[in-house]
Amino acid sequence: MIKLYDYELSANCYKQRLMLSLLDVPYESVPVDFFPGLEHKSDEFKKINPLGHIPVIDDDGYVLWDAHAILVYLAAKYDPSGQWYPTEDPQLLGEAASWLLFAEGTTNTASAARLYVNLGYDFDIDVCRAGAHRLFRVLDEHLWFREREGLDWVCSGSHPTIADIAIFPDVVLSEEGGVSRLDYPALRRWTDRVKALPGFTIMPGVFSVGTS
Amino acid sequence: MNDPKSLWHPVATSIDLPRHHIFHGQLLGREVAVWRADDDFVNVWENRCLHRGVRLSIGTNDGNELTCRYHGWRYANRSAGCTYIPAHPADAPARTICNRTFPAVERYGLVWSGEDPVGEPPLVPILDAGTPFTLRSLPVNASAEVVLAQLGDHRFQPVDALDGDHAAMAVTELGDFALALTAIAASTPTTTSTAVFFVQPVDSDRSVIRAVLTDTPADSEQIAVLRHHATRLGQLVALAETAAADQPAPEPMVATIDQVSLALSVMPERETNRSAPLRVQVARKWETAHDIMAFELVSTGNPLPTFQPGAHIDVHLPNGLVRQYSITNGPGDTACYRIGVKLEAESTGGSQALHDTVNEGDVLAISEPRNNFPLRRDALRTVFIAGGIGVTPMLAMAQALQPMGLAFELHYFAQAEEHLAFNEIRSTLGDSVTVHLGLSPGETSAELTRVLQGYDHANQAYICGPGPMLEAARTIAAEAGWPDQAVHFEYFKNTTEIDNSSSFEIALARSAVTLQVPSGTTILEVLRDHGVAMPSSCEQGACGTCVVPVIEGDIDHQDVHLKQTERDAGDQIMTCVSRATSDRLVLDI
Repeated sequence: MIKLYDYELSANCYKQRLMLSLLDVPYESVPVDFFPGLEHKSDEFKKINPLGHIPVIDDDGYVLWDAHAILVYLAAKYDPSGQWYPTEDPQLLGEAASWLLFAEGTTNTASAARLYVNLGYDFDIDVCRAGAHRLFRVLDEHLWFREREGLDWVCSGSHPTIADIAIFPDVVLSEEGGVSRLDYPALRRWTDRVKALPGFTIMPGVFSVGTS
Repeated sequence: MNDPKSLWHPVATSIDLPRHHIFHGQLLGREVAVWRADDDFVNVWENRCLHRGVRLSIGTNDGNELTCRYHGWRYANRSAGCTYIPAHPADAPARTICNRTFPAVERYGLVWSGEDPVGEPPLVPILDAGTPFTLRSLPVNASAEVVLAQLGDHRFQPVDALDGDHAAMAVTELGDFALALTAIAASTPTTTSTAVFFVQPVDSDRSVIRAVLTDTPADSEQIAVLRHHATRLGQLVALAETAAADQPAPEPMVATIDQVSLALSVMPERETNRSAPLRVQVARKWETAHDIMAFELVSTGNPLPTFQPGAHIDVHLPNGLVRQYSITNGPGDTACYRIGVKLEAESTGGSQALHDTVNEGDVLAISEPRNNFPLRRDALRTVFIAGGIGVTPMLAMAQALQPMGLAFELHYFAQAEEHLAFNEIRSTLGDSVTVHLGLSPGETSAELTRVLQGYDHANQAYICGPGPMLEAARTIAAEAGWPDQAVHFEYFKNTTEIDNSSSFEIALARSAVTLQVPSGTTILEVLRDHGVAMPSSCEQGACGTCVVPVIEGDIDHQDVHLKQTERDAGDQIMTCVSRATSDRLVLDI
């Protein structure tokens, strides 16, 4: 069974839990004392990931780190429909790669602001928040036009991709970092759509959508 | 310049309100939760749960009610009245628990609202004359003033000359927060497009530009037009934000959050009488079944107050009689009250008057809705048993459980097919409804025995119908192991022969007054004769409105409202019919 080196409050670990839940893949969560224990920076943990980051997965001896790389692996291996990581469609694949890089941006801004507020990380909070708003503004316009074209997801296909899963946690938890989504109505509607996906799962601070 | 609080402003676009979504908005420093109900009504509410102040925009919208994320308080479409408090599942929330609402009108693809707006949202003749096409709104980190100044220099291309540039611009002022811009193609001056720009003042340093083209482009051109305006407005946003950044940051607007009203912050006042403060008009009257007339009542003034499933209203009839009728509406269906009136064979003038003399267009005096038959919304299985016209409260209740996905079964007993009322509601309840027609009393008991078997944890039963059926159901439920508190009854009337021969003394503990109740007179009458304001409704021991807490003394219960366990507790009395077996009763009033 897949082992996920995990921290309950981590947005990047939530990306993996969400992906695994959506793909209905069983896994074992191995808790890492990220805060306050800083276990991911321990010598012991660096034997697993020398970068000292979580999440990390161990799939029957195959070890992979980096939140977005793990999404690529999980979707490529465990989604027989090939829709979450559309390797058969070069254009969609290119879009997914582009938006995965965008998700690096939301991680380094919106989620960084959350680490500053919740865990006392030493970041320039104004820079983090301004950066998050700059990206959210772009994404809101992008998703608004997607809706106009009858499309629901970040990439131009009819099915969500790992890009949606990579971006969603950074967006949906942004208010914890003091980044309001009041100015981004299309972004808020997209979070409702992600929450309505079969197999959607929550984490602390992320609510399910209504039942009807 | 007008006070911005007296004006209508756009707060959202219509497409911001898809099914079951809650839009998060802000106007003049005040956050609002905006949501569309299944009946298309648009609600603009203070973004704050009355309970603990949590934002309602993170709650859920089921199309009928908005539920707060924190402790699950539910609020009704339109009225914003609280309909259910999960921490008090057996109680009806006080009618006074009502969220702050703001007016809402949809026009030109925008949702208009305001703090305290005067009149109607602005009519823009050039939009009314055209086929308005709503553009994408853009948030700006700049004041409305700065944005309006920039808009004066804004440039775009006519729809039919998007690829060109340097269109000439003509500006028309349209009030304090709006202007119209007409783009005239440089090469062909007959090619023009006009857009109206409304600037929504979000806060002292933030705005939203909401723009509407006067004419809808051809389908094939729409995306290109929307992209053109998004790009041009994006450039304007950058200019406005640069301009704003050069100015000192203005003080934020402060929206005053209303203090909790007096009605909520103190113990609720008792209703003072058998009063009928509401005036409603009969919008529709139709025969819903043999001898059952349905009435749709709409307000003649303020919006109708919130009701909860199980609630009834008193109808004050032209002939002076007062009758109680259950509201059949489901949750969120708040624009009218619909009641069903069975023509009683031995009518003493109540049902007869409604059937024969009250017509569409007539105005009736009614009480505010009162709920003495509250519905728990936490049961794993709910059994509704209705005899005849007793179906009316059950219809409201079943419609409340259905969207919540809570299992229920409605057993509807009637004489024959033509006696079945409100088919249009029943048809929405699907397989959960079972009709039992033409059963004898013995057959009815057998059916009730079958229906009420298998009591389990978190089961609830609600029974409304003729007295003998209720008595049978009461016995059968008890034998089937239903605890008293899980079986709820609503009687049409109290057929008990009232024995009012006793005489006794009542001491009003809070008022330090002692009064005599002579034989032939009710406690309620004695209280009123001595100036004690008392609510009442049916005045025959069926509805439960005139209840008073008892501190001391033995009660001679003659009502049909209290359950046996409530009677045994001996701490409340229906003052319209019940009396004392002791010489003295001490009442907590």
